[in-house]
Amino acid sequence: MNAPTLFGLCAAVLVGFGLYGLIVHPQPLRKVLSFNLMGSGVFLVCAVIARRGAAAGMGGDPVPQALLITAIVVAFAASALAVALMLRQFDETGSSSLSNDPGPAPAKPAAKGEA
Amino acid sequence: MNLDQTLLAAAMGLPLLLLLACASARLRRRMPALFVLAPLPALAAALWAGHDSMLVLGNTRFALRFALDLPGAMLLGCAAVLWALAGMFAWRYLRERADSDGLVVCWLMTLTGCVGVFLAADMIGFYFLLAVLSVGASGLVLQGEGPQAVRASAIYLGLALLAEAFLLAGLILLAQATPDGSLLIRDAAAALPGSPWRDLTLILLLVGLGMKAGLVPLHFWMPLAYGEAPIPAAAVMSGAVVKASILALIRFLPWSTALPDAGHALALIGLFGAIYGVLIGITQSQPKLILAYSSVSQMGFLVAVIGMGLAAGDTGTALAAAFYAAHHLLVKGALFLAVGVVMLTGRRHRWPMLVPAAVIALGLGGLPLTGGALTKYAAKDLLGEGLAGSVAVVSSIATTLLMIHFLRRLSAMTAVEADARAPAAMVTAWLAMALASLLIPWALYLAIPIDTLPKAVAPAALWAALWPVLVGALLALGLDRLGTRIPQVPAGDVGEVLYPLEDASMAAGGWCERVDAFTRRWAVSCIALLLVSLLFGWTLMVG
Amino acid sequence: MSPAAPVNLTTPGGLLLVLAVLLPFAGVLLGLVLGGRHAQRVAWLTILLGIGVVLAITRASLGSGASLVYLLGGWAPPLGVALRADGLAVCMMLVVAVVVGAVGVYANGDFGTPAGQRETRAALAFWLLLLAVWGSLNLVFVSGDIFTLYVALELLTFAGVPLVALDGRAETLQAALRYLVYALLGSMFYLLGTFLLYGAYGTLDIALLAERVGAQPVTWMAAALMTAGLLAKTALFPLHLWLPPAHAGAPAAASALLSALVIKGAWFLVVRLWVDVFPGIVSLPAAQLLAALGASAIIVGNIVALRQARLKLLIAYSTVAQIGYLFLMFPLVQALNATQQGNAAAVTGGLLQAISHATAKAAMFMAAGLIYSTLGHDRVADLRGAGRALPMTITAFALAGASLIGLPPSGGFLAKWLLLSAAIATAQWWWVLVMLVGGLLTSAYVFMVVVRAMAPAAPGWSPKKQVPGYQQAAVLGLALCSFLLGLAALLPFDVAQIGRAVVPLVGSP
Repeated sequence: MNAPTLFGLCAAVLVGFGLYGLIVHPQPLRKVLSFNLMGSGVFLVCAVIARRGAAAGMGGDPVPQALLITAIVVAFAASALAVALMLRQFDETGSSSLSNDPGPAPAKPAAKGEA
Repeated sequence: MNLDQTLLAAAMGLPLLLLLACASARLRRRMPALFVLAPLPALAAALWAGHDSMLVLGNTRFALRFALDLPGAMLLGCAAVLWALAGMFAWRYLRERADSDGLVVCWLMTLTGCVGVFLAADMIGFYFLLAVLSVGASGLVLQGEGPQAVRASAIYLGLALLAEAFLLAGLILLAQATPDGSLLIRDAAAALPGSPWRDLTLILLLVGLGMKAGLVPLHFWMPLAYGEAPIPAAAVMSGAVVKASILALIRFLPWSTALPDAGHALALIGLFGAIYGVLIGITQSQPKLILAYSSVSQMGFLVAVIGMGLAAGDTGTALAAAFYAAHHLLVKGALFLAVGVVMLTGRRHRWPMLVPAAVIALGLGGLPLTGGALTKYAAKDLLGEGLAGSVAVVSSIATTLLMIHFLRRLSAMTAVEADARAPAAMVTAWLAMALASLLIPWALYLAIPIDTLPKAVAPAALWAALWPVLVGALLALGLDRLGTRIPQVPAGDVGEVLYPLEDASMAAGGWCERVDAFTRRWAVSCIALLLVSLLFGWTLMVG
Repeated sequence: MSPAAPVNLTTPGGLLLVLAVLLPFAGVLLGLVLGGRHAQRVAWLTILLGIGVVLAITRASLGSGASLVYLLGGWAPPLGVALRADGLAVCMMLVVAVVVGAVGVYANGDFGTPAGQRETRAALAFWLLLLAVWGSLNLVFVSGDIFTLYVALELLTFAGVPLVALDGRAETLQAALRYLVYALLGSMFYLLGTFLLYGAYGTLDIALLAERVGAQPVTWMAAALMTAGLLAKTALFPLHLWLPPAHAGAPAAASALLSALVIKGAWFLVVRLWVDVFPGIVSLPAAQLLAALGASAIIVGNIVALRQARLKLLIAYSTVAQIGYLFLMFPLVQALNATQQGNAAAVTGGLLQAISHATAKAAMFMAAGLIYSTLGHDRVADLRGAGRALPMTITAFALAGASLIGLPPSGGFLAKWLLLSAAIATAQWWWVLVMLVGGLLTSAYVFMVVVRAMAPAAPGWSPKKQVPGYQQAAVLGLALCSFLLGLAALLPFDVAQIGRAVVPLVGSP
């Protein structure tokens, strides 16, 4: 097994974990963390692609690295925005949930009104 | 722009201009006084505009085109007379009403649509103006005071839009089959027999226009709407508005090619409606509803005439059908005005109002020397001697019966005060309309060579017209003996099935709501996203 | 890179594209610095200048009859980044400028600040976000490479999410958070697809990609991931969990922006990908799947809209349904491509649908906002009196509704006519059925709202608040734009020219 394949598999595992977390966790903080986990997987794919570009004789394809930096900044900004929203929601209600399902998550009356 | 085009433009333009002027509240309040004037350019266009020239708005790539053919001119002229006189009636009627805005706007909108549909020569313009007409007319129904007005209006609009959905599909099929992308109705009708989708196109057009014409079993909007609409609105709707679909049938069907299957089916449905309308009509007690059912019957008969003409490929059908429609337009409009006038007239003054009503009402059944006898005479050859001809005679008898029933109910409806008199403007409008419905058919018969005068007044022809009326009168006596034993059918008869349908659709709606709530759960939505991407991957792979 | 590639030169007027993107963002920064008192004025200055820029772009593209191109820094793709505006992009930019202008006029009432007072936080945020939405949308329309498009879409989402939560109530915060997290999930899908494409073909440029992509598993996977991600951002049924609460909860002006414009960004990108990048890759079954999702959106969205008790939720569900219409064009485009007839009719139909929905839906949401401030509530069952108090607004609502139903002469009708013709020409009658049934369902709720609003008010009732005339005029103006859009076919130049500009560019990007 060569290095790109190994990293590719790692990326797949990360994306899988992230997706699983996004699907099953009702708490928004966990969702944002899952999103970051999934993002890391996707970024790893990008890094693998950059590495594969090195086969052409360069030390590594620079374009994916530039993309990677941009994407990480965007993901960071997204996480910051999400956390800010969560904090505001916590201030308003004292709890924080995204779920409007009648499930394990403690659904608030406000959430039900929107459903 | 030559004179013809100016006339056409003015006919469309004046009602549209008045409609736009309604944006100002001050002008809107004065608008009813102009109701009489608004349709006059249309009358002028019908009388004097040539039938060859075309008004073109737009450019070479796409344009709206307006023109007037002979059937169109006949119907437009009669409709303009009805709109003007009913407008006079409406003006007086509105003086007693607190809020007139809705009726004013809807009246002008319906008028614009009505004149426009009669003039439209291309499919896009026709569809557009038909939509304006339907929306305006449903607004007129909404102005009724009854508690059922909203329901009647909703059913009217719903069925009209359903009909237009059929029509739109038919029109697009027509446009696809028309050579070199022409959108002219004339070209489309000529190309229809050679279209690869001929049968489907015909079915879509006939279903769409049949619904608008009130063919049984999709006629139930008619009694509901005419029963709820204010009197002048009911007059123009039953007279002028509904004729748009007849004119469309005349224009869209290819008369030079015999299409026996479609034609006979249409004729059968029409004749059934002609009898069915009368049967339900005699169970009604309100004059407006009786008139509405008479419209169902008459429109059925008219469609049957068109169907037989289509089956035979008879090019004379267009004119005969338009003539019949023009007569019905005038008479039905006049009779609705009569209902409005008689309701305000006391017992002592009722006879001057009732006698003209009796003459023109019996004219619908074919009383000799009235316009009705002329129209039946003109349609006779088309129906032939077979089953259709016999049903036509039965329909004459039945119509006479229904009209006598109407007159009896009408005379029982006089105002409570014995000395009451209807306002002069209303009486004038009604009497003028009655006169017009007696004279104009004769004028049309003579001005347009439908047949010669001596033939129409020959004793044999007179007797052929008279005996069904007499039989009808005898039957009316019998009906009187039955009295209260006739069952009462609710207005809109088969429309009653809508109530259980509403429950069913509520249940379906609840199901959709549950689907929506289910798919909007977090976990479901995330899994749906995964599934969608997998499905796309799969479909891309197999393709 | 083949020498025949038509893209690698900056055309005259190309700089305008940069301006169209930079100007709104410059406005955002300036507003942030001067904020507190002058954000509204800065926003208005930017809107006026921006409309001028968009008009100049339109003129330049009509004049040359070809797409405008600008190469950033003079670097040609695949290393550099190109901005391109073809007919589709120019049309969308025009519409966005019109809607932003109208929303700006309307928002003067809701988020205006009297001279001498400090702006509230909500007002400041609104004006800056309005500009940010505009700038990001322009970037979406002119971007020539798929990674810049990713950034543009993220900017659009980041501008859209706070708009939902402007009033800071708990339920709108929750709606905003749902929107954000779900949209981020979608962007990750899109990003993964982008990386895969780069890995396989070594370029991000749309024109170059279109030349290089071949039918192989990595392309299929990338196309599927990117499409699914974009659908999540457009909120196509069944991926619409965030849309109704977000669009119904936001303030009226923000709802108008979100519903009319923001979702069109991701939709536009789907069109770009399917029509420009992957024309040889997308299969008819995939296009049918996309349209099938659209059809279920139309049916479910419209029926659920009919059952809503609140006007804003009703309009939001109507958006869910209308998004479905936007996706009906894809199988038609595919089938037309296959028959060599040229896909112009279907593409123009889809574009017109988007334009007329943008104007009509913005008008509807703003009308709902005016009704809310006049009545103090927006319960559909209890709208009586609204017609008497706000005749212009109810007229606007009815006209916008007519456009959604597809009554002539509205833009919706023209779109429907083109799409129906394409469906019949390619023998796909089931889409005809869906479109016609959808129109009937739409008419049911428009009729319901208008009739209830026209009912006379209860005796002794008086409006809670007098709304200014210019707000009503803005709503009516937008509704008229949508309703009279179909008449554009009558003009001697306009649509045909732009349409013609669309055709060759779409065919050979």
